[in-house]
Amino acid sequence: MKVLEIKNLHKIYNTTQIRVHAVNGIDLDFEEGEFAAIVGPSGSGKTTLLNLIGGLDKPTEGEILVNGVNLSTLKSSEIIDFRLRNIGFVFQSYNLIPVLTAGENVEFIMGLQKWDRKKRDERTRELLKAVGLEERIHSRPSKLSGGQQQRVAVARALASKPQFVLADEPTANLDSKSTETLLEIMESLNREERITFIFSTHDARVVKKARRVITLEDGKILSDETRN
Amino acid sequence: MAWRNLWRNRRRTVITSASVLFAVVFALFFRSLQLGSYDYMFKSAIESYTGYIQIQHHDFWEERIVDNTFTIKPELNNRILQDENILATIPRFESFALASSGPQTKGVMVIGIDPEKENYLSEVENKLVRYRLTPEAVSRIKSDRTIPEKVGNLLDLYQGNSYTNSGRMQLDLGISDKDAGSLMPVIEKEARFENGHISMGMPGAWIGDKLSRYLEIGIGDTLVLIGQGYHATSAAGKYEIKGIVKQPAPDIDNKIVYLPLDVCQDLFNAPGNLTSLVLHVGDNSDRAVEETLNRMEPLISEPCRLIEWKEMNEVLVSQLDADNKSGMIMIGILYLVIAFGVFGTVLMMTAERRREFGVLVAIGMQKKKLASVVSLEMLYIGFLGILGGSFLAIPIILYGQTHPIVFKGTFAKMWEDFGFEPIMAFQGIDYYFLWQIFIVAIMVLIALMAPVRRILGMNVVNALKA
Repeated sequence: MKVLEIKNLHKIYNTTQIRVHAVNGIDLDFEEGEFAAIVGPSGSGKTTLLNLIGGLDKPTEGEILVNGVNLSTLKSSEIIDFRLRNIGFVFQSYNLIPVLTAGENVEFIMGLQKWDRKKRDERTRELLKAVGLEERIHSRPSKLSGGQQQRVAVARALASKPQFVLADEPTANLDSKSTETLLEIMESLNREERITFIFSTHDARVVKKARRVITLEDGKILSDETRN
Repeated sequence: MAWRNLWRNRRRTVITSASVLFAVVFALFFRSLQLGSYDYMFKSAIESYTGYIQIQHHDFWEERIVDNTFTIKPELNNRILQDENILATIPRFESFALASSGPQTKGVMVIGIDPEKENYLSEVENKLVRYRLTPEAVSRIKSDRTIPEKVGNLLDLYQGNSYTNSGRMQLDLGISDKDAGSLMPVIEKEARFENGHISMGMPGAWIGDKLSRYLEIGIGDTLVLIGQGYHATSAAGKYEIKGIVKQPAPDIDNKIVYLPLDVCQDLFNAPGNLTSLVLHVGDNSDRAVEETLNRMEPLISEPCRLIEWKEMNEVLVSQLDADNKSGMIMIGILYLVIAFGVFGTVLMMTAERRREFGVLVAIGMQKKKLASVVSLEMLYIGFLGILGGSFLAIPIILYGQTHPIVFKGTFAKMWEDFGFEPIMAFQGIDYYFLWQIFIVAIMVLIALMAPVRRILGMNVVNALKA
């Protein structure tokens, strides 16, 4: 079942001096449960593509359909709400809310969706257990290592049971051991909960784990390779 | 969530609410000082001289000659005294004369008073000079070995000054309360200035401190007054100086001569006549004065009329009105500085949290909801700052109310040269207090618009890069 369809996607940035065609006519489909990596050199359009898929940015041309819903037809407040219910985000620099504890960061998304307290607590514990941080539920981000923060970020991204998770260079700031742990966690969540993961990455270890590798260059798809 | 954000980021909360707190404290402090000083000037002018209501001859205010005087029947005086807000009636006879002593001559204001009744209002007796730092007194004080060098230097600086009480002298000489017990008795003994009394029927005069210096006369000397009496008669008399009075307003101090009322009436050949009858009121609020005037109106007939303090102090009212306007500009500038302070802190807080705002919207928080959370945070901060500022300002203002700022040295002299008493008083807690809080609250609300606007117009991708 297709969770994501991208049709003839373009993104052009017009600065005062130059015109940058960051995404140049991309067509892609993602099935449920994919574990895909988007790779390419800096400036190839990886992050721009993820931002467009996540509705953080608007395409200059083309369509993005999530479960058949065309993001371009939604108003900006509807996009935010759609993102809340359907898309999880993992950022390169974790981006946890500093004043919230690990548990509260995970729970926050469920709170926005007005889940009841008991359900929120159960899901928070379940997710923190899945990323191996149940005992750090009351710790603030400043008391966690980079790897632990990124694991909390993964738990947060999965909190609302999204259709897919977009992860922009999730391992870029992690050491090899933390990277290994994080990838194992994401891989097992992908297998067990059938959640689609789409990464942008430079990291060979992530690419090695990915079952589909899409290579971008100058905003265009250079290759799209699926592995078994 | 708003409260949690504040509580868990206490440093940011303290910094931001401190900007509001100081805004409240400064606004309250300066406005209290400004209004208190105006009030003090009004009170020292009105309560030390004109009073709030007077009865005068219809033409006296425009043409202050002794021909424009009136007599008051005892029955009318009694009816006036029956009014609930009138505590006393104070008769006066005012005119001008040429005062002379030896080679010195000066135009002076001669006021005939009933010294006892005057205690209700101008309390002239309390303004008699009790201490004077004459060169001889200073020399005697300095010869005392217990007097520190610092006090000796200040004695040189203030040599020639007169004081109606030892408190101001102690302040000028920089003597702490701790040392006052040992030093002040020595100074008071050497600087003591003895005055005599004036009373009805006894020729004798009290004159202003500055006038006494100008005429170079003191207690026991004779003052000669020459002027024009009632119906163009000539008025002349000589009077023994019984006392020196120090008036707070320097321009009155350098021209005032007090005589007993009947002595003054005799001088100007107008026995029984008055230039004014001050109606001393108990409640001096604008409303009470207005109501008293209305009750008095039917009792007063030609050639007399009632005149209220605003008309009698027209120059002071317009001077203070002009000063109030320039004061408003100053306080406006202060508000501007405060507003930029609050605004700057809020902007800094917004910039610091830009990435956080971007993340919250990226993970699914509506911008409007985020804006309302941040607004609530700002309102809490504003409330904390206003509450803290008020609590901090109240004791400062209450202390200032009982301990006005008294300028000393050359700065004080400069103020006196401008015709002001060198004192800055504080206004007690009043409506202005709420106004200042309201103004700062408005500033907070305006400052609040910055983060709200930033959030609603935020580009999430750019915010995430912040």
